[in-house]
Amino acid sequence: MKTKETHQYDIGCLQAIEAFYAYLDGEIEDPKSIDEFEHHMRHCRSCYSRADVEKLLSQRIADSPKTKTPEMLQNRLRNLMDDIE
Amino acid sequence: MAKRDEIRAFFSGQIEENMDALYGVALRLTRSGADAEDLVAEAVIKAWTAINTLEDRSRFRPWIFRILRNCSISQYRKLSVRPVESRYEDGDDDELSTLLNEQPDDFLIWWANPEREFFNDVLGETIMSEIERLPEAFRMTIILINVEGLTYDEAAEVLNIPPGTVRSRMKRGRTLLQKSLWEQAKEAGLTNDRPDGIRQ
Repeated sequence: MKTKETHQYDIGCLQAIEAFYAYLDGEIEDPKSIDEFEHHMRHCRSCYSRADVEKLLSQRIADSPKTKTPEMLQNRLRNLMDDIE
Repeated sequence: MAKRDEIRAFFSGQIEENMDALYGVALRLTRSGADAEDLVAEAVIKAWTAINTLEDRSRFRPWIFRILRNCSISQYRKLSVRPVESRYEDGDDDELSTLLNEQPDDFLIWWANPEREFFNDVLGETIMSEIERLPEAFRMTIILINVEGLTYDEAAEVLNIPPGTVRSRMKRGRTLLQKSLWEQAKEAGLTNDRPDGIRQ
């Protein structure tokens, strides 16, 4: 008997948005969940577009200038390192 | 090299390597350069006295960030000052749909089809200052993951929350960030959307 094919890749936009950041941050390990998400991205222009700008925004945040430790604190910490026993 | 010397060399090396990140996070916790310096110094002393509790050296970063955060919480308690609480609660089952329901329609229309150029036009400083304005829980999660490069698991350790909560805070925090950037851009006339949703 032919059974109805499982729609293993059918996830909705809300589910895709739920997985957005975990996927973009490389935090999804389950191959099935990755397949589902990528399948949705290939077929949904709106989610693809959102993911595209989220990637860009993550990059902009990561590239933002990093805070430099003031010299006074650097010296203070190095003195602490010298004094610890 | 004696065992103690070896541990000390490891500890000093890690402090040197993570100094900027520790100061950066401390600055965001205290919002004051002088307080941030004191907080980092206190955390480093506490970390050294607790170095024997660090079981896995590859977890040094989340371990010391957690000590830093705990020192910051102790400071708040001493001063009887509470950080600004978020009006958003962790743990709603359908949290994203709830959050999206709270957003104005014109933002949702724009968010369904955002313009890539818009994010090129928004200045890096604007993005960082909008992150600073987010509620503390979301701000720290985004900073630890997107700025300092911690994994969700490491951020969960620092914030003392389950990894699932980190995931939900990322969704909420990033959605709120998108909204505040959109509001900024709308005021500056950078968005192409009209309120009726028809793209110009």
